[in-house]
Amino acid sequence: MLKSPEEYVEGILSHDRLALARTITLIESTLPAHQERARIIVNQLLPHTGKGIRIGITGVPGAGKSTYIETFGTMLTEIGHKVAVLAIDPSSSRSGGSILGDKTRMEKLAVNPKAFIRPSPSSGTLGGVGRKTRETMLVCEAAGYDVAIIETVGVGQSETTVSSMVDFFLVLMIAGAGDELQGIKKGVLEVADAIVINKADGDNVTRAEIAQREYETALHMLMPNSPNWTPPVLTCSSINGNGIDKIWETIKEHRTKLTDCGEMASKRKTQALDWMSFLLDDGLRQWFYNTPDVKKALNELQKDVESKNTSPTAAADMLLRFLPTIGSTTD
Amino acid sequence: MSKHPEYQKWAELASKQMKGKAVDKLDWMTPEGINVKPLYTAEDLEGMESANTLPGMAPYVRGPMATMYAGRPWTIRQYAGFSTAKESNAFYHKALAAGQKGLSVAFDLATHRGYDSDHPRVAGDIGKAGVAIDSVEDMKILFDGIPLDKMSVSMTMNGAVIPILAGYIVAAEEQGVSHDQLSGTIQNDILKEYLTRNTYIYPPGPSMRIISDIMEFCSTTMPKYNTISISGYHMMEAGANSVLQTAFTLADGVEYVKAALKSGMDIDTFAPRLSFFFGIGMNFFMDISMLRAARFLWYRLMSQFNPKNPKSSMLRTHCQTSGWSLTEQDPYNNVIRTTMEAMTAVLGGTQSLHTNSFDEAIGLPTDFSARIARNTQIIVQEESQICHVIDPLGGSYYVESLTDSIISEAQKIIDEIEELGGMAKAIETGMPKMRIEESAARKQALIDQGLDVIVGVNKYKLEDEKIDFDVREVPGTVRDEQVARLKEIKATRDQTAVEKALADLTAAAQNDGNLLEAALPAVRARATVGEISDAMESVFGRFVATTRCISGAYSSEYKGDSGAIDEIKKRTTTFLEKQGRRPRLLVTKMGQDGHDRGFKIVASAYADLGFDVDISPMFQTPEEAAKMAIENDVHVVGASSLAAGHKSLIPALIEELKKAGGEEILVVAGGVIPPGDYDFLFDSGVKAVFGPGTPIPESAGKTLTLLEEKYLG
Ligand SMILES: Nc1nc2c(ncn2[C@@H]2O[C@H](COP(=O)(O)OP(=O)(O)OP(=O)(O)O)[C@@H](O)[C@H]2O)c(=O)[nH]1
Ligand SMILES: [Mg+2]
Repeated sequence: MLKSPEEYVEGILSHDRLALARTITLIESTLPAHQERARIIVNQLLPHTGKGIRIGITGVPGAGKSTYIETFGTMLTEIGHKVAVLAIDPSSSRSGGSILGDKTRMEKLAVNPKAFIRPSPSSGTLGGVGRKTRETMLVCEAAGYDVAIIETVGVGQSETTVSSMVDFFLVLMIAGAGDELQGIKKGVLEVADAIVINKADGDNVTRAEIAQREYETALHMLMPNSPNWTPPVLTCSSINGNGIDKIWETIKEHRTKLTDCGEMASKRKTQALDWMSFLLDDGLRQWFYNTPDVKKALNELQKDVESKNTSPTAAADMLLRFLPTIGSTTD
Repeated sequence: MSKHPEYQKWAELASKQMKGKAVDKLDWMTPEGINVKPLYTAEDLEGMESANTLPGMAPYVRGPMATMYAGRPWTIRQYAGFSTAKESNAFYHKALAAGQKGLSVAFDLATHRGYDSDHPRVAGDIGKAGVAIDSVEDMKILFDGIPLDKMSVSMTMNGAVIPILAGYIVAAEEQGVSHDQLSGTIQNDILKEYLTRNTYIYPPGPSMRIISDIMEFCSTTMPKYNTISISGYHMMEAGANSVLQTAFTLADGVEYVKAALKSGMDIDTFAPRLSFFFGIGMNFFMDISMLRAARFLWYRLMSQFNPKNPKSSMLRTHCQTSGWSLTEQDPYNNVIRTTMEAMTAVLGGTQSLHTNSFDEAIGLPTDFSARIARNTQIIVQEESQICHVIDPLGGSYYVESLTDSIISEAQKIIDEIEELGGMAKAIETGMPKMRIEESAARKQALIDQGLDVIVGVNKYKLEDEKIDFDVREVPGTVRDEQVARLKEIKATRDQTAVEKALADLTAAAQNDGNLLEAALPAVRARATVGEISDAMESVFGRFVATTRCISGAYSSEYKGDSGAIDEIKKRTTTFLEKQGRRPRLLVTKMGQDGHDRGFKIVASAYADLGFDVDISPMFQTPEEAAKMAIENDVHVVGASSLAAGHKSLIPALIEELKKAGGEEILVVAGGVIPPGDYDFLFDSGVKAVFGPGTPIPESAGKTLTLLEEKYLG
């Protein structure tokens, strides 16, 4: 039985699957007591993190992300890596419950002893994705997984959150729907470290190659994200494995290049600072909005603004005046 | 459409009887989306292409044969098989002595998936849902004393078709029966396996090639043999309504025809040997009309290939009463359900029929229940005087109208599939699967609300259920017997000959040789089912399914009294507030059982109710399921079992969980589990067992109570 944070830490450092799984549960919990415990655990684990490679993968639903990870992850375990996969499923909005089916598309990796796959409900809150996933990733590193892969569906803003916590951000595309950029926002392409056209197999190979050239052109028009790296456009098939090793080569090359010129270190530093300011913002908001006086006043003022009894500026002003008075009501 | 001259008068009368409500208040919208009126008249038939045709003539609505049962009644063909070849053989002999006319072999799941009985993956499946066959030696025992030149044998096999069909052929050879004397049917319908039953081995491409190879081989050497039985049955069992069943089955048929044409065959050499297999449910007139509509549509679909032989566009079908409609509760009611469904199939004009045993929601049929099942159709055939008139419902305003509606609804879906590039492509997009699952979730919601009545389940429930009949148990020794025989065969055969034959088979797989032809020498040399499957797998690979789950269909259909649903949603929310996350459930299927209807409905409905639901890949071992439960840190694992593997697989899962430190994780079980086994499961640590027909709110409520007691208590 795991009780004290020390027992969790010990479990994780000795690569115990159960301890890792339970820690992730604490991280994801909405209970302040669990979050507190998670903070203690993550803090103690921090010295053991940082050496892994962090990869984010996004793409429209059905682009083949899970299948790609199945093939890519299996290949990595074959060449000696231990792979953690964090998959964020969109919650069903109706009741909040989710169907987490990622492992059905990662059948081999799911039973691979060198892999750990954790699907998480995103529980509606996009901020939640970032916060929890980042900490989960760190814990996986401490548990000996030297490659962490994060899968997100590329339809919301979650992917930009993810891109700001990984070393390498890969956008998976499919050929054929190229012109309108497949619902992927241009912003996502701007943060991509590589674009991969998946499903380049069977009678789809030519179309994938055409899409490859289209995206190359599209990328040329964007400002590169880094002065030291030009994002390539690659093709692969997650079914027959073609092109998968080339992607791994690219990720390693990216790492070497950015490490040599110092950009990797500064990227991680920036990410840590961004992370802090994100948490600060998030904490402030929660703190503010959870204050009973604010909740009450907000409710009334919203109605007043709607009925034009109060101007938006005046209402906001009135609410902000609570700030000095809510000294220590945090929970 | 014109109205009966006195329609208005009738409508007024009717309305008066309904205290002034309009008659169209009596309309009923079927699950197929067909609006059924309370009254049909001759005017409804005006201009109807399918009405008033003749049997034995295009478009065959009224039956493929000119005389139908007036000339010769349908074939009573009971599907059976369990345990060892010897046990099944004894069962067949008894059935044939008691009036059965053809044989129909059920294989166990290990055989379906091309594994020998000694393969570690299938330890829980041997001899359970059918007979275990590892080599031609088993085949010979299976057909011992059964003259294969006279007996028509149908075999439900789709995955391991090559070793099994080759095994049957060689067993016949060794009885002295030549290929051309063999008659019967092999199911060989792989497309529907990707849709519902999941007993495939190879990916769709090579699987389609296997089918063409079989058609080709048989069209020249086994002219009396049906090379495929295009099956809607499993779609219906998975929840497809009658229009979906018709459309998807016929679309599968068209796909096979195209594959055969592409491989260079002439339409008239194989199309007459195509046969169908429909499932018959409780919607009496709907399914009668479905069979009539299917024959019409098949004729129309086949016309595009310009066959010269009329038989090429004639739909001949086997039918089976629905296993899904059988209840575990008050099970004698199942005799009545099966009788109704048998009548449906007969009035629809089936060519052969299997009637289910009343105890099939509980266990495998016994000699007793099998006798009742067989007699059900013997009595319809020999006592009821139904057979004298061909298509006795032909001309019924209602049945003809319904037939016409099914034709047009199914045609729409067939057109949709055609637009997607045919059924194989449609399956790739996931469309048919989603439609079936949606239909299943809707049906479940209607049942759970009591809007679809099932006697003994959601209405007129018994106070206390008791089983006062025997339930068949497959002895645990079947696997040992099979393993021993495998050892013996491998010790006594000519190993070099086996290896050469297998290498030749692999080469044929690589080089477009005919696979059935190439497998025969391997079977003769005593290569096993597993070895033959592997020899092809080394070229083709093994197919891995992608499981997709729809959400929302269950709760969107749950409109009426949503009290039960709201209450559970409230409780899951409370759980979230107190525990910091939603109750998290892993639903898993262990063993080779590929029936995923229950498992999918549970996943989709529980998510609607506010659970986080993890779904495991199919065909898990207990160890793999435990790893997933630990990694995802679920509160509870729901193990679904429909193929009698529960007694070994579920306790093994509990053991594996303990080994990995996950003893806190609760285990509940669902599916076809004989009530006599409940205590055994409880003793091994299972916390709750949900039999077939348990309403979702009930099982979800109980699971939630277990979790509340443990975590909130
Ligand atoms: N032909 C081909 N099909 C692929 C390839 N990769 C994925 N697929 C198929 O595409 C479908 C979707 O794949 P997934 O891996 O579930 O896609 P996903 O992006 O993870 O989807 P979501 O998690 O639902 O957003 C599946 O049917 C896969 O078999 C590929 O490289 N080639
Ligand atoms: Mg995915």
